[in-house]
Amino acid sequence: MKAELHIRAHQFIAKERVEGLAQAERDSLAAHLQECALCAEFARQTEQALRSLRTAAIPLPSGLASRTQFRVRLRAQELREREPHRRALWLACAVSWACGIFSAPYVWRLFEWFGQLTRMPKLVWELGFGLWWTIPVLFAAVVLLMENARHSDEADWMRQGS
Amino acid sequence: MRDEAKSIARGLQRRDPNLLDRLIEQYQYRLFRYLVYITGNKERAEDFFQETWIRVLERGYQYDGRSRFEAWLFAIARHLVIDWQRAKKTQSLDALTDPEQEHPLQVANENEPSPLHQVLSQEKEENVQASLEKIPAIYREVLVLRFQEELQIDEMAGVLSIPVSTVKSRLYRGLEALRGALPGGAA
Repeated sequence: MKAELHIRAHQFIAKERVEGLAQAERDSLAAHLQECALCAEFARQTEQALRSLRTAAIPLPSGLASRTQFRVRLRAQELREREPHRRALWLACAVSWACGIFSAPYVWRLFEWFGQLTRMPKLVWELGFGLWWTIPVLFAAVVLLMENARHSDEADWMRQGS
Repeated sequence: MRDEAKSIARGLQRRDPNLLDRLIEQYQYRLFRYLVYITGNKERAEDFFQETWIRVLERGYQYDGRSRFEAWLFAIARHLVIDWQRAKKTQSLDALTDPEQEHPLQVANENEPSPLHQVLSQEKEENVQASLEKIPAIYREVLVLRFQEELQIDEMAGVLSIPVSTVKSRLYRGLEALRGALPGGAA
């Protein structure tokens, strides 16, 4: 029997487990295995190896689920307590933006008046007007960054472990 | 199956504590076993187990129920391990576990049983399990996902964030390594 036939049979044996075989491939493999004891043994060993992998057991630490459930519930409570604060923050930002939009013409005039009063270059007071608009965003960003920093401190135990 | 995934997705959106309790119970063995295989250490696997469920609680809104829940769960667990490895070694898990790279994942003293061996040796089937330890972690991981967790190849590609073709090639090599490693399995 040609060596290529054995090589192809070995490939089919692996392919059957990994991604499955087409009907023609399955028929061809079955026919070969009936004739070739070596390849049949190879197929048996492959199946045996996979069975061993499937049945390999790892003991579960006692109380793992209940300890995890406890931690998850604590964290859920923490998140629930934090939610109203976050909602208030977004609400404050939204109100601030709305007020900013409605008051923009007046604020513009105010900056213009102040610029003329102090003989400031036009670009400077226009820049000031732009910065005035970024204040709510900056405030929200600072609060979120502080929250994230606190959150990452809580997860530091993982990096410190082992 | 799809309905169940959708129902889990809705529950996770609401951060339903009863659903989380049930999921932790239901998937505890599979997740823990996967973590032991990829970290090679029981204590570390326990830490990652808890951290994975915390992440599920926090990021539950990202699960849309279009894929199987376990695939999403394993992806979260794997990313946590990778993040930890990166923070520790500033290298990816793949780089650490790829047998063609210089530093395999399990770096325990060769004269002492590795943590994975210690975990596995608690069972009676010592020969089989000690043999599994010989398989490089990068292949052991795909073997576990495919033949223990019975994930589809495209689901595995999602979990591992690699192309389907890479999943297949790792599976073929892993199968070969498994056959070679198990007693009486070598051709």
